[in-house]
Amino acid sequence: MKRSIYVLLSMLILASMLLAACGTPATEAPTAPPAAPAATDVPAAPAATEVPPTAAPAFVGDKLVAPDCNYGGNFKAIEAVDQFTVKFSFCAPDPAFLAKIASVEAFDIYSKANLTEIGGDATKMNDAPVGTGPYIVKEWVRGDHITFVPNPTYFGEKVANTTFIMKWNKEAAARLLDLQAGNVSGIAEVTSDDLATIEADANLKLYPRHVNNFLYLGINNSRAPFDNEKVRQAFAMAINKQKIVDDFYAPGSVAATQFVPAGVKPGFTEGYKGTTYDAAKAKQMLVDEKFDFNKTYTLSYAERTRPYFPQPTKIAQAVQAQLAEIGIKVKLDMQDWAVYLPASREGKLDLFFLGWSEDFPDATNWYDVFLAGSSPSFGNAFPDIVDLIKKAATLSDSAERQKIYDQINVLYDQHVPTIIIAHGTTNLAFLSTVGNVVLGPYNENFPQMTTADGTLVFSQDGEPVSLMCADETDGSSFRACNQIFSKLYRFDWGTANPVPDLAEKCTGNADATEWTCTLKQGVSFSNGAAFDANDVVATFSAGLDYKNPLRKGNTGSYQYFKDLFGGKVLNEPAP
Amino acid sequence: MIQFLTRRLFLVLPVLAGILLVTFIITRLVPGDPCYVMLGEKATKATCDEFKARFGLDKSIPEQFGRYVFNIAQGDFGNSLKDRRPITTIVGERLPMTIELTILAMLFSSTFGILLGVVSALNRNSFIDTFTMLGANIGVSMPVFWLGLLLAYLFALVLKGTPLQLPPSGRLSAGVSLIPLAKTWGITDATGIKAFMLAMLSNSAIMNGLLTGNYTLVFDALKHLILPAVAVGTISLAVIARMTRSALLEVLGQDYIRTARAKGLEYGLVIRKHALRNALIPIVTVIGIQTGGLLSGAVLTETIFSLPGVGSRMVEAILGRDYPVVQGFSVVIALIFVFTNLIVDASYAYLDPRVRVK
Repeated sequence: MKRSIYVLLSMLILASMLLAACGTPATEAPTAPPAAPAATDVPAAPAATEVPPTAAPAFVGDKLVAPDCNYGGNFKAIEAVDQFTVKFSFCAPDPAFLAKIASVEAFDIYSKANLTEIGGDATKMNDAPVGTGPYIVKEWVRGDHITFVPNPTYFGEKVANTTFIMKWNKEAAARLLDLQAGNVSGIAEVTSDDLATIEADANLKLYPRHVNNFLYLGINNSRAPFDNEKVRQAFAMAINKQKIVDDFYAPGSVAATQFVPAGVKPGFTEGYKGTTYDAAKAKQMLVDEKFDFNKTYTLSYAERTRPYFPQPTKIAQAVQAQLAEIGIKVKLDMQDWAVYLPASREGKLDLFFLGWSEDFPDATNWYDVFLAGSSPSFGNAFPDIVDLIKKAATLSDSAERQKIYDQINVLYDQHVPTIIIAHGTTNLAFLSTVGNVVLGPYNENFPQMTTADGTLVFSQDGEPVSLMCADETDGSSFRACNQIFSKLYRFDWGTANPVPDLAEKCTGNADATEWTCTLKQGVSFSNGAAFDANDVVATFSAGLDYKNPLRKGNTGSYQYFKDLFGGKVLNEPAP
Repeated sequence: MIQFLTRRLFLVLPVLAGILLVTFIITRLVPGDPCYVMLGEKATKATCDEFKARFGLDKSIPEQFGRYVFNIAQGDFGNSLKDRRPITTIVGERLPMTIELTILAMLFSSTFGILLGVVSALNRNSFIDTFTMLGANIGVSMPVFWLGLLLAYLFALVLKGTPLQLPPSGRLSAGVSLIPLAKTWGITDATGIKAFMLAMLSNSAIMNGLLTGNYTLVFDALKHLILPAVAVGTISLAVIARMTRSALLEVLGQDYIRTARAKGLEYGLVIRKHALRNALIPIVTVIGIQTGGLLSGAVLTETIFSLPGVGSRMVEAILGRDYPVVQGFSVVIALIFVFTNLIVDASYAYLDPRVRVK
């Protein structure tokens, strides 16, 4: 009897599952066409059936206006003044505006009509991206490669190759094998171990990339004994940074002498050496402070290779050994990244390794991110440093700002909020037959690279997550988006100088609270739609207004719109 | 036989229910936060709280589980947290490559494993036997990532420029396209199971090529699978060779073999028809286990050779705490194991008449 009931139940469940699987598509139900952004003054797109009048319709400019500046972000308004002019207004001066919009692909400009059609959904953008960049996507074979071909409507310099294929392989050794075998034309993220092999091979050429970054030893100054400034100073003095760089970093990397790398100007103090290695003095300082040498301290890290952290375990072991030389017992605690990062953010770690690569070339992307306030990760902020950072943020004169950063750099060594270890160089390698390779800190000139057969194949370390980079933060996605979309400004090939791209020019007012951009005319998206100021407003509105119906993206975080423009977006719910 | 298979099929249901429950609980108990993995160093607590709320991860575990089961009952396995793509779509992309790799690897390992096992057994304690079994032991002990890199180095670099040159990684050569069958055949209305099966066929480069007459695609896909199949099949080959040898040796000592020889039957016929067939049951069991293991993903091989299969995606999902993908793939892997065992059991009945009689 029991058996019969069991069989009957099983049959019912199986039948229901089969019916469900057959009847319902396993994909997401198509979303209804979104309404026009409610929280903004952006008008709805015209209905598809609307018959255009004989005369060209007058341009109606869209705008997004914050009711006030108390919402926590810095954007006050974006307005399409006319068809080819957009005005950005800020609550507080933003002298780095051009560098910000030129930096990451989060500020790619989308077609308003296309954004409306796909409801701002990244999964739909992935299927048929519409941009104004040098390439269009021919196919994306998931897990294997993306094939790009030149965009016939591209407004910029003619693309020098006929096909650009982006592949990925997580293993650096396998990427190198692919390059040596001639299966790819170039590879990203060459490891230190492979540099000699590449340099010895006449068929290959190494291209170093100097990116402003740092590896730091995080210290939580709310926990004893690291609440003692002298102890932190002693730790900084006990680490031989130069030896670590010599042993584990790629050529071109440098040991840190102060908070920011030499490329951050204003910010970096020329000639300033900061805390230098002196193990004997460090030990004496600890003895004077009655430091407990019997206790074992935990140094946490994650085995996640980065240009600034090329060999995590070896570097952690080296620091452990250097501290042991003066009698400090350190236990290494390697954690899974998914556990490690939240633990560091929540202030659960005493000593930990993390790093930073700048998003845009400006001192605010360093000092303001790390030193402008207290945090659970690092503990208490230092009021003298915070005051100076606030003062620097109101200035647009570089020389004046530098004077303030000079003071901060000295105070940094006194307070030791973190210990900056090194600034790493990363390397890319190409076949020597690939011509016109130019690498900058933020991009590669793939559209201008040449190969004998016109096909350029590049292998990076990961597959793009999505092609709607407004809502992405990873370099693999950015590299792909960079081929398909354009921004108002971009960095000139090989440099960190912002140059106009979709904009003819952007000019700021005297106090950098307003930026007016004149757009290029005659530019078309890859689907043929004409580009105008409303595309810019629609793109920024999706990123900056939490309630904008086109703000779907991938995860919906739109992190860079928060990070680079004040920390919060419009209509963001309270935590 | 049909009753036996039906009974086994119904046993799948409690297994699936168990897998759903266990994987759901384990993924939620493992420490870590998907938001921090996805946003990296830029992640903040406020952003991650918002992320959790958006994807329902702030709800209690029983509530999340209830919703998950409710959705599955409607055929919805959910979407990846990483890229919000449906799990069924991801399975449809990844499983075909793994099936292709498994078939090739098992063809290689079964053919050569049985052959070497038979040769070894027939030449017991000879130089050939010692040499073969030494090779099998090395094969079992060799780390697959090391063998993979070695093969890639040999066939991609040392033999570069010769007809034996093979690609060291990737699924297709630059310029070779994998066009979806729906596009080729002009199908626009496929949904549900039909769409899934179409995706499975489309994403199997070999099947896609055969169905559309695109033999360039077939040969290119095969060329890319040779090294991974050999790398991943070597361990299975060694295991099968050892099992074949021991099973065959046991059978060769039986009275009925001696009787068959005494009747004057040809030696080869005795080996093929009487000895090997009776020794096949343990060999088939081993092949079944190895096949199930490979179908659930050859993680290291897929990583080394940059092949987009089940294993690499599963590991990526585990490290990224992409719960829906881990759960969905666990169910798929469980089903693969169940059906592989079912096929093995069915083959017993074919190989051994006593099983049919029972």
